[in-house]
Amino acid sequence: MNDKNIDDVILAVDNISLSFGVMKVLDSISFDIKRGEIRSIIGPNGAGKSSMLNVINGFYHPQQGSITFKGETRQQMAPYVAASHGIARTFQNIALFKGMSTLDNIMTGRNLKMKTNLFLQALHIGPARTEELENREVAERIIDFLDIQAIRKKPVGKLPYGLQKRVELGRALAAEPELLLLDEPMAGMNSEEKEDMSRFIIDVNTEFGTTIALIEHDMSVVMDLSDRVLVLDYGLQLADGLPHEVRANQDVIDAYLGIPHE
Amino acid sequence: MTFFIEVVLSGLMAGVMYSLVALGFVLIFKASGIFNFAQGVMALFAALTLVGFMEKFGMPVWLAIAGTIGVMIALAWLIERLMLRHLVNQEPIILFMATIGLAYVLEGAGDILWGSDVKLLDIGIPQGASDWMLDTFDIYVEKLEVFAAVTAAILVVFLAVFFQKTRIGRALRAVADDHQAALSVGISLHTIWVIVWSVAGIVALVAGIMWGSKSGVQFSLSLIALKALPVLILGGFTSVPGAIIGGMIIGVGEKVAEVYLGPFVGGAIENWFAYMLALAFLLFRPQGLFGERIIERV
Amino acid sequence: MIYRETGQFKTNYSDDQALFPIAQDRYVILAVLFITFVLVPVFINEYWLNAILLPFLIYALAALGLNILTGYCGQLSLGTGGFMAVGAFSIYKLMVAVPELGFIPLVIISGLITAAVGTLFGLPSLRIKGFYLAVATLAAQFFLIWLFNKVGWFFNYNATGMITSPPMTLFGVMITGPEGVPAAKYLLVASFVAVFALFAKNIARGRIGRNWMAIRDMDIAAELIGVRPLLAKLSAFAVSSFYIGMAGALYFSVWLGSAEPTEAFDINQSFLVLFMIIIGGLGSVLGSLLGAAFLVMMPILLKNILVGGFGTNSALAAHIEIMTVGALIIIFLIVEPHGLARLWRIVKEKLRLWPFPY
Repeated sequence: MNDKNIDDVILAVDNISLSFGVMKVLDSISFDIKRGEIRSIIGPNGAGKSSMLNVINGFYHPQQGSITFKGETRQQMAPYVAASHGIARTFQNIALFKGMSTLDNIMTGRNLKMKTNLFLQALHIGPARTEELENREVAERIIDFLDIQAIRKKPVGKLPYGLQKRVELGRALAAEPELLLLDEPMAGMNSEEKEDMSRFIIDVNTEFGTTIALIEHDMSVVMDLSDRVLVLDYGLQLADGLPHEVRANQDVIDAYLGIPHE
Repeated sequence: MTFFIEVVLSGLMAGVMYSLVALGFVLIFKASGIFNFAQGVMALFAALTLVGFMEKFGMPVWLAIAGTIGVMIALAWLIERLMLRHLVNQEPIILFMATIGLAYVLEGAGDILWGSDVKLLDIGIPQGASDWMLDTFDIYVEKLEVFAAVTAAILVVFLAVFFQKTRIGRALRAVADDHQAALSVGISLHTIWVIVWSVAGIVALVAGIMWGSKSGVQFSLSLIALKALPVLILGGFTSVPGAIIGGMIIGVGEKVAEVYLGPFVGGAIENWFAYMLALAFLLFRPQGLFGERIIERV
Repeated sequence: MIYRETGQFKTNYSDDQALFPIAQDRYVILAVLFITFVLVPVFINEYWLNAILLPFLIYALAALGLNILTGYCGQLSLGTGGFMAVGAFSIYKLMVAVPELGFIPLVIISGLITAAVGTLFGLPSLRIKGFYLAVATLAAQFFLIWLFNKVGWFFNYNATGMITSPPMTLFGVMITGPEGVPAAKYLLVASFVAVFALFAKNIARGRIGRNWMAIRDMDIAAELIGVRPLLAKLSAFAVSSFYIGMAGALYFSVWLGSAEPTEAFDINQSFLVLFMIIIGGLGSVLGSLLGAAFLVMMPILLKNILVGGFGTNSALAAHIEIMTVGALIIIFLIVEPHGLARLWRIVKEKLRLWPFPY
């Protein structure tokens, strides 16, 4: 990996526990993410990885623990706070707005940057117009970056899976996030599409300096892209460190081979 | 004190009547995921057909009832053929709006076939006040309403057993969850739907008989469908016992409010009280008394 | 051949985002506007005004409102009748109390009052979704009608409970009640519809409209990207009720002249407007207009065919009409759930290639 100045912590979670009724999904998880790095979270299915992202986002509220983002510590995140402070994400089972076009979906990602009130919007004059055009430019730059010009006006519900994932990435990028959470961005893709997606992720990280937290199952991708890796299994934290360290860790190997541990 | 008990009892009985209609809703929702707005009109249509058979064709009661059941089954088959099978896997709101359309079609058809004047329905259910209750407790109770309550209880038991224990019941629950998944394990959606809507039609007939015996067969019967909504909210859309309990709560609530609060605000509170009650309920418990709490996943 | 876009390049986003980017569309719109505002007023008569044009325009306004709430923002509402009543009774009280403000401002104020009421009844939407919300709007519907029936202050304590529109003029021309000048009434209402349809389109294309649609499509994801569900839903209720309130005000003061709450604004109104946006097309401004036109014209057409043509008696014709509306709803939902607006778009697509098949 190239040299990065990765000392500054942008997000830290401390002792997070999350349960749904009697089902314990996360058990005392603590880790941090440094600004500018690519952090992977891996683990077998059902390990609690998506739930961890949901906690960071504010969609789930942990029963225990705290989240420190950009220096501010909270017992739980609220979705609006997470979004307005610079966290964006993609979802495991694509959460695009199926009734809208690609361009519109990406424009919704700009919603926090747009402010003009209802009346000006109704009249579509002055600040409302300028704002719409400015943000359209930003959206188009993202469309260029992701090479999806051809499907710009197509309703996303009709797009193939791989393209939908790209549009969803576009929507997340549109928010110009400081921390980007990607939940299995390469699921269901062939190797060509995975290479494209990997390239996008690296470009976003190097060109815009965006910190990335990534859930992924493809080990080669994880090893290639990540600066550091966190391993979860059954809600427990198994390992946390550099990719090659984690790969050699016996607990991690056991978990993936299905050997039960206490 | 006896007056209060009478009001409550009267409310309970009214509630049972609501529950009968709500039962039909629950059936269809449980088994096909559709909220059948036309349930009230189906009750009206069934009652109209029954009366029509008895009066226009001079059939004896038992034959007329059998005939009406046949009509409701045929209707279920038609609904499946012409409407449901073309709407497989559509969003719930589209299905709901289709049932509104269905309600209008049935209403118009009922009017054209049997005429829109009010009809008397008398199939021999005991009418009038229960002398026994009057003598023993000095409380006024309608025999008809007791009859309805007992019928409802029998229906509930029957339906509960049907859903839980039989193979068809299981298939119905599968269909309610996911049309395509049910198809993929070989459940014939079409047969299931015809069965469900037939049973709902028969339940509608029972409701229609009870309501019709009580206040005559007329258009306002179909408005009961709207009243059933608060019942379902309280009781949950998928719970058979919930429909009964929800109905009784609404029935009692309405009657008590009308009698005790009504005079202060000019009366006719019954028009909206049930909905406000349901609304208040929803704010605290969005899934109703018996509904299942849905955990959203992203 | 006619409807071709070749040669019409857009070199900046502003042009691409224009309301009618294709030149042929612009000509059509100009023609429509010409017919609407120049030709029709010349030929208009009392019958056309009261039987067809006024109901179409007023329902179009109401349909626009409901479409904003239900079509764009996905919040099902069965309270349209009740909210129209709020608009009607608002303008009644205003016309009696402060007629000097002028008719148009009074209509707008009635709209604003309805917007406030609508927002209030929209508060439950934060906790409640889908069908359950429909129940909340039903509560609004039944409660509001009961209120306007029972509380004497609303109808100035007159014996019948009916409200009658006091005569009002606009620029010196009478526009309310039976003495109103047809052309004036028509132009007034048509202007309202044209202006507010434009506003609706602009809002729908912008940030607020996108947020509404995001809530409709997947409210969880919307919240997670920073859309505030509270603000979005309540703004939808507010704008929607504003439109519906104005429609109710015009319905009472310009078209009916007098009204009684249970008849004029009951639940059947709510269903009627809902049918309009279903048949016309959910989430479409054009759809609202098409749906209103369809459901206003169709009964008239049917009646003319049945009673005039086949000699059916009017009671029977009424029943057949009910059945037909119901059947049409079902047919539309099966064949084209996105309504007439989508059908229109498909026609335009075909026109682009015509006379070639593909």
